[in-house]
Amino acid sequence: MGRTVPTITQTLNDIEAQLRRFRHTLRRSDQRLLDDLLASAHRHIAAIAETQALLPFEGALLAILLEQARTIAQLEQRLIDLEQVWQSHERRET
Amino acid sequence: MNGVKREHSGWLMDVYLHPDGRLVAWLLDDKGQNHLLAWDFPLTFYLEGPSAYLRQVWRTLTDKTITKTRTTRPDVYGHPHNLLAITALSPGRAQALYRRLSLTFPHLAAFDADLPLGVQVMARAGLPLLGRCHFYSDGERLLNIESQSSPWDLEPPLPALRILRLYPDRDPTLEPPHILHLEYATYHYCLPLQPLRPFLINLQAIWQRCDADVILSDYGDTWFFPFLQHVAPALKLNRDPTLRVQFRRERSFYAYGQVLYRAQQAHLCGRWHIDRHNAVLFNEIGLEGVLELARVTGLGVQDAARKSPGAGITALQMQTALREGILIPVAKGRAETPRTLSHLIARDRGGLIYRPLIGVHTRVAEIDFTSMYPAIMVNANLSPETLGCPDAPPGLIPRTLQPLLQKRLTLKRWLQSLHPLDSRAPVLRARQTALKWLLVVCFGYLGYKNARFGQVELHELVTARSRELLLQAKTLAEELGFTVLHLYVDSLFVHHPALSTSEEITPLLEIIERETGIPVTLEGIYRWIVFPPARQHPRRPVSNRYFGVFTDGRIKARGIVLRHHSTPPLVARLQNELLQLLAQGEHPSLQLSAAWELVAQQMKRLQRRAVDVADLRVAVKLRQLPTDYLRPGPAAQAAWQLQARGTSPRPGMRLHFWFTRQGIRVTPPAADEIDYARYAWLVRRAAAELLDPLTSLPPDPQLRLPMLTRGSSTIKVSA
Repeated sequence: MGRTVPTITQTLNDIEAQLRRFRHTLRRSDQRLLDDLLASAHRHIAAIAETQALLPFEGALLAILLEQARTIAQLEQRLIDLEQVWQSHERRET
Repeated sequence: MNGVKREHSGWLMDVYLHPDGRLVAWLLDDKGQNHLLAWDFPLTFYLEGPSAYLRQVWRTLTDKTITKTRTTRPDVYGHPHNLLAITALSPGRAQALYRRLSLTFPHLAAFDADLPLGVQVMARAGLPLLGRCHFYSDGERLLNIESQSSPWDLEPPLPALRILRLYPDRDPTLEPPHILHLEYATYHYCLPLQPLRPFLINLQAIWQRCDADVILSDYGDTWFFPFLQHVAPALKLNRDPTLRVQFRRERSFYAYGQVLYRAQQAHLCGRWHIDRHNAVLFNEIGLEGVLELARVTGLGVQDAARKSPGAGITALQMQTALREGILIPVAKGRAETPRTLSHLIARDRGGLIYRPLIGVHTRVAEIDFTSMYPAIMVNANLSPETLGCPDAPPGLIPRTLQPLLQKRLTLKRWLQSLHPLDSRAPVLRARQTALKWLLVVCFGYLGYKNARFGQVELHELVTARSRELLLQAKTLAEELGFTVLHLYVDSLFVHHPALSTSEEITPLLEIIERETGIPVTLEGIYRWIVFPPARQHPRRPVSNRYFGVFTDGRIKARGIVLRHHSTPPLVARLQNELLQLLAQGEHPSLQLSAAWELVAQQMKRLQRRAVDVADLRVAVKLRQLPTDYLRPGPAAQAAWQLQARGTSPRPGMRLHFWFTRQGIRVTPPAADEIDYARYAWLVRRAAAELLDPLTSLPPDPQLRLPMLTRGSSTIKVSA
């Protein structure tokens, strides 16, 4: 483990280090969003390792997309819930 | 009385070498009488190499007491080796002979030449150390001995040991002690070290009166015995009056990813000495655990206490090999096979570790695979000689591990069946923990470069199989409607909204055990558990930091400040008290205001300087020689200060110091010199580590996903 090749955590940390200048150039508000995205990649580190890819950043990007999809799914669900509340409220008023 | 053959029953306590090369057995009979008997124990080792060299060796050995024969024996792979077998009449002669020949003929490969004495006795004579035996002696020599027990006995009888505890009044690394405390049975002696003559007279009198079997000391290896050696070299401390205390040198080495330090060791003959500060696992397994290690591995008690469990597992493998006539190389001869980068990326990996779902969770069960890695090694028959042979009979490593695994599992189940207050529970716990450590390291030793029966490909196969098994368990849990919060190498943390009792998790345990073939146990049901985020980012999870309370009131914490060796006792105690307080509620946030009140009280005590200086002691491990440090960090400063005081810190040593307003100090400072602001910062940080996640954490988004919250309100009982 990590004897001949770096661990996936080390690899992701190296990628973040490489992106330091990129992050530094962003606006403060965008830096926070980038930090959130990179943090979300860490939530799926075991899955990224399982891809056994030479360049695991692709897996990291997929993990980030997955978290984005989850956020969208949650927002959609909240929208549906709100619409249902709104419709029942409208029905009561009519 | 000498010359008369006498028959006894008792215990084989230990074996050691007399300076004349003879093997001496320490036996304790049923009447409490100690026997130190010379044992005729011829020993054979083997040399292999070009015939011309072997002929030269043959001609060199002119001593008629040495037997030389040509023989053929197999190695672990079953390959026959043409060897020169050399048998000396005593183990000491054999060791000296091997040392001389290895220097004269360095190109010859040697087998069975450097094995621990206890291992040889266990394997060749079938006598386990600390085992019951029946023996005949003429008062000086051991004439015959028969074993009456097995190392795998679940309830081995033990003699009543006479234990003498000794410790100085202060840490000798910081300042010279003034008083030596000795405790034996109900007696407690305090001997002033000066003046020296009365001290030595009193010490010798107490030593002889107690005639202890076990000396349990604090700083015995590093201070007490070296001190006595210096001031009274003729003092008789061994049972064998012809022998002096045997010292072994200190050493620093790199293992398990860290620098470790073993101080010099003082070994006794005819009794055991264990320095609690220089014994690897003593704080965790105690004397009972050390005795279990010695009984199973064949390493003597003094070695078993001080050596890492890795030495124990090697000794077990050696026993198997010796019993079965398999050659044990002095140095590993087989190198790693070359592999491609993609192969290494796929294979050179550890266990599966998830990042947990951040937050406070209730109704969580922790499920552990019991001895997962050794069980994989046994079930999948992973051994150097069976690699790539799926139908091969059980290999050397599975044959070695099987009884060990079985004994630990039986002891663990027995322990679980006992009431927590049962008087047998602490002893059983110590013994099963000692066996657990042997099993823990047996996997790592597969990949250790110097392991005699190791092979890194096997190491990788074990981790690959463990990842598969854990993923299989995860899938099974999800099929039963559980949410998997965390996976950590051999344990799963699963949540279900309807989970409240251990019976509800039983179907999951059964199905995992059935499908994977590895025993699983329920560590417990958490009333609540907290997976805090990383300090760097509130949405970044950390895999090895969590704390929680089980429904039976037990608290479990990993990775928090409380568990760090460096933490001052004051800070660790505060975190412990906070955990106890939080554990009182159904949800930790219910006790939040009381917890912050506790922190405020501690801060006030610090402001008033109403704290004990000893509670503020910080520890740090030295990673290199003091002269190699380039920056004056705490470890470097502490090492430099100790050097200035005349001691020589070695890499791997744990140093202690205090934060003062003038910097760090290795001796206890006066109350008005302490840097209280620094300690207040440590207290605040430790409190925030536990309490901040309870207030600032948003619920984990994954738990709010519609497909997860829409689950059934009861737990399904089948997949």
